[in-house]
Amino acid sequence: MKTIPSDIGGESAGPVDTVDHGMKYWERQANAFRSAVQITGLTCTDELRRAAEDLGECYKDMHYFEITTSAMRTVLLEKGVFTSQELQAKMAEIRARFNVPDEMESPLKQAVRK
Amino acid sequence: MSGTLHDYYSRSHPDHDHAHDHEHEPPNPANEHDHGPPGEYEIMSRAMQELLEAKGIITAEQVRKRMEQFDEEFPYRGAQVVARAWVDAEFKKRLIADGRAACAEMGAVLEAERLIAVENTPEVHNVIVCTLCSCYPRALLGMPPTWYKSRNYRSRVVFEPRAVLREFGTVLPDSVTVRVHDSNADMRYLVVPMRPPCTEGWSEERLAGLISRDMLVGMTVPKVPD
Amino acid sequence: MKNAASLKSTYTSAPSHRYKVGDKVVVKRSFPPGHRRTPQYIRGKQGVIERICGAYPNPEELAYGFDGLPEKVLYRVRFAQNHVWSGYAGPAHDLIEMEIFEHWLEPAGAHS
Repeated sequence: MKTIPSDIGGESAGPVDTVDHGMKYWERQANAFRSAVQITGLTCTDELRRAAEDLGECYKDMHYFEITTSAMRTVLLEKGVFTSQELQAKMAEIRARFNVPDEMESPLKQAVRK
Repeated sequence: MSGTLHDYYSRSHPDHDHAHDHEHEPPNPANEHDHGPPGEYEIMSRAMQELLEAKGIITAEQVRKRMEQFDEEFPYRGAQVVARAWVDAEFKKRLIADGRAACAEMGAVLEAERLIAVENTPEVHNVIVCTLCSCYPRALLGMPPTWYKSRNYRSRVVFEPRAVLREFGTVLPDSVTVRVHDSNADMRYLVVPMRPPCTEGWSEERLAGLISRDMLVGMTVPKVPD
Repeated sequence: MKNAASLKSTYTSAPSHRYKVGDKVVVKRSFPPGHRRTPQYIRGKQGVIERICGAYPNPEELAYGFDGLPEKVLYRVRFAQNHVWSGYAGPAHDLIEMEIFEHWLEPAGAHS
């Protein structure tokens, strides 16, 4: 009887992929960002854990850093550090920075802009 | 500042392949940029970081410094602590009695981690997991390997630890007790493996070279290479 | 909140602890909603107090922005694997241990 999606101890699962696939650059930066925010005391581990758990059905389909990033967003929004609109605007600004110039138009540009 | 045109072109360069094996590898310095366009969560994380920097809550320098610590400092401390425990029996006793205090002796002040060190013996083999999330003594070991955070490890190692150990190539006789620790609340764990034979007179540095992250959560055991 | 002393030890004091090392305890068989740090697989299981970790603010409250006070005593509890999992495939002396807060524990034999 599980009330929390991450409470998976004892569930059947497949073999462990014993190779460490490391971390991408953005993941290392996201991890450092999270750590830096924690140090300020603005967020606490328990809030971030709870926000991850509240992902519910989505949790099982998300990767570790997607979960932790979502959780941070939830807690910072709750605390009014920024509004949803501010975050959306900043994200749009960042997406625009990754636009390829016209002469090098690529199918990837569309995916980024979705 | 990230996000310039240069950043995009850097992203197009494939990152160098780094060897995958169970053993601890330092992060590949060539992997300074990811290739392909940023995904939604990367954009979200960058956006939050920039907003918090603009609001003066954190600085870019703090984030950069933290990245450096995670890459260059934290991953090596655990092995150093264990190597000290191998050469100094009184230190080992203090480590087992109070992990945080013992690490502080070595200059590793663990601000967030309440460390419990558990010792492997010929009778007992220790295994660490966090079934609920991925708690791990990061300031002592750096970031956990991807398998430690995986569903399959977290769900199975609590009820079939010996089968999971075999997947890592570690086979224990039934006479040895396997003691699993689910790191579910405020404590963090470090396994102190048994010192391998044929290492008499080795320096701490040389001994630390035998110790990988996999060993410090109990999935493998240190050996002297042939 | 952190003081110099707290950086020196893994443990904090818990003078009001209800259980002592060696006491037999049962984890409450309760499934409340919200943030909990007691895994579902251990609820209702019987074990033994392995050590007292100290007293800490309650994570179940910290998770929602409250101060988690008064602090709750945290214990490490040791369980026999073959008492936790029916059909456990390893030997009878294999163990599993974890941290359980005092309010999740009852003395063994407290209820019928």
